[in-house]
Amino acid sequence: MKQEFIDIVKSGKVLVKKCTKCESLHLATVYFCQKCGNKGFENKILEGTGTVATYTIITVPPAGFEKYTPYAWVVMKIDGYDLRISGFLGGISSPGQLPVGSKVKIVGYDDRGIILEKQ
Amino acid sequence: MEKVCVLGAGSTKYGKLEDSITDITIQASVGAIESAGIESKEIQAGYISNVFGIADKQVHLGPVVMSNLGIPERPSLSIESACGSGSVSFREAFANVAAGFYDAVLVAGVEKVTHTGTEWTTTYFSYCSDFFYEGGAGASFPGLFASMARAYLTEFKATEEDLALVAVKNHQNGFLNPKAHLQKKITVDDVMKSAVVASPLKLYDCCPFSDGASAVILCSEKFAKSHSKNYIQVIGSGRGGSPATLQGRDQMTTIPSTKIAAEAAYKMAGVTPKDIDFAEVHDCFTIAEIVDTEDLGFYQKGHGVEAVREGRTVLNGEISINPSGGLKAKGHPIGATGVGQVAEVFEQLTGKAGQRTVKNAHIGLTHNFGATGASCAVHIFKSV
Repeated sequence: MKQEFIDIVKSGKVLVKKCTKCESLHLATVYFCQKCGNKGFENKILEGTGTVATYTIITVPPAGFEKYTPYAWVVMKIDGYDLRISGFLGGISSPGQLPVGSKVKIVGYDDRGIILEKQ
Repeated sequence: MEKVCVLGAGSTKYGKLEDSITDITIQASVGAIESAGIESKEIQAGYISNVFGIADKQVHLGPVVMSNLGIPERPSLSIESACGSGSVSFREAFANVAAGFYDAVLVAGVEKVTHTGTEWTTTYFSYCSDFFYEGGAGASFPGLFASMARAYLTEFKATEEDLALVAVKNHQNGFLNPKAHLQKKITVDDVMKSAVVASPLKLYDCCPFSDGASAVILCSEKFAKSHSKNYIQVIGSGRGGSPATLQGRDQMTTIPSTKIAAEAAYKMAGVTPKDIDFAEVHDCFTIAEIVDTEDLGFYQKGHGVEAVREGRTVLNGEISINPSGGLKAKGHPIGATGVGQVAEVFEQLTGKAGQRTVKNAHIGLTHNFGATGASCAVHIFKSV
């Protein structure tokens, strides 16, 4: 499931599971519904667009991220759904460049994890 | 359920230590045994918490500690739950003594990482997150708490200077603690001018990477009474969990596991937040202390920041928060921190806290979590 999730992220979309019992949505890496415990899900593919729910700009990075520093790590609220997904967003050096609420989108996946960009 | 007591406590200094991970764990354990006034052979089991033993070439610490304490035949459990390892371990020990399996046990926690340097620690600590979504996308731990801080500053009337006040307060307390890692007073200006680590958090908003070990002796009330008058009782114990990722939470200005653990601990203890005289809370970053004091019920959501601004959480204020200096100034040897908090409560409630004593205190609380609060434990203690 994780590879399928990654492949869909690479196309700028998000694979989610909709609980067949309570209809709550989860990112596809969840195997039992966190709301009601049900195991039954329907797959659903959402557009990878949204707004910044919160973020940080990292200046002291973990290994592998030195060449991208400074960069933002963002929690994005997916448009139209009560669901969030987080990822890497490069080329950001000051808070003024990325206020909470800014429009962002998923553009890929690589050794930096899920990649976001400003819309 | 047996009544459970803390009979003794020991800690190394927190900071940059030369001795090995094994040696400092034993030093703290011997301190706890001597403080309790017992023989090591009276210990029936050991609970040893640690996260990055691999950095000092020793994992599976339990049997190594027990052997060096002269009790190699006694069972031990080596426990990892990120920065919450110490309190999670303490809870398992509590449960086993409460259930009557053991009369007296050793709970010891340790970390030895400062020799590895900032890049190693930043990288390896990030493995404590849900790595696929967070660490693997470049989120450091300062970055994750910075994201909580950004959410808090956006949602409530709070400023970066308000966050800095938490650091100033905890350094003031740590200055009075001879075992603290950072024994120096700082100003809001010092915090604001320190280097940005992960915006909006700056170096002085962050706790240090520390080496250190802490240990306590936990026992039944009957065992405690037959050995000493200097003990305290554990009256509440609660555990909780949160979604492992920040994205998995409806709100990023609260830590769900804290609320769950606190509710359970208050219920067991039969007390409310108003009954707590002082608390050692998990202030890995300045924002965390504000969020903690709200989630623990000391202040309403969004109002913890006012309490700090008005000085209500200073030593001997309305409620003393982190009289030890907290993770921020006392230091944060991650596997030891939760046990060290219990050691602080023991010292406070048995008259051994010196200049940082909380006056007329009878009930203390410890709150410690792993990662961004994915795992959490809260304990409540009273003097006897």
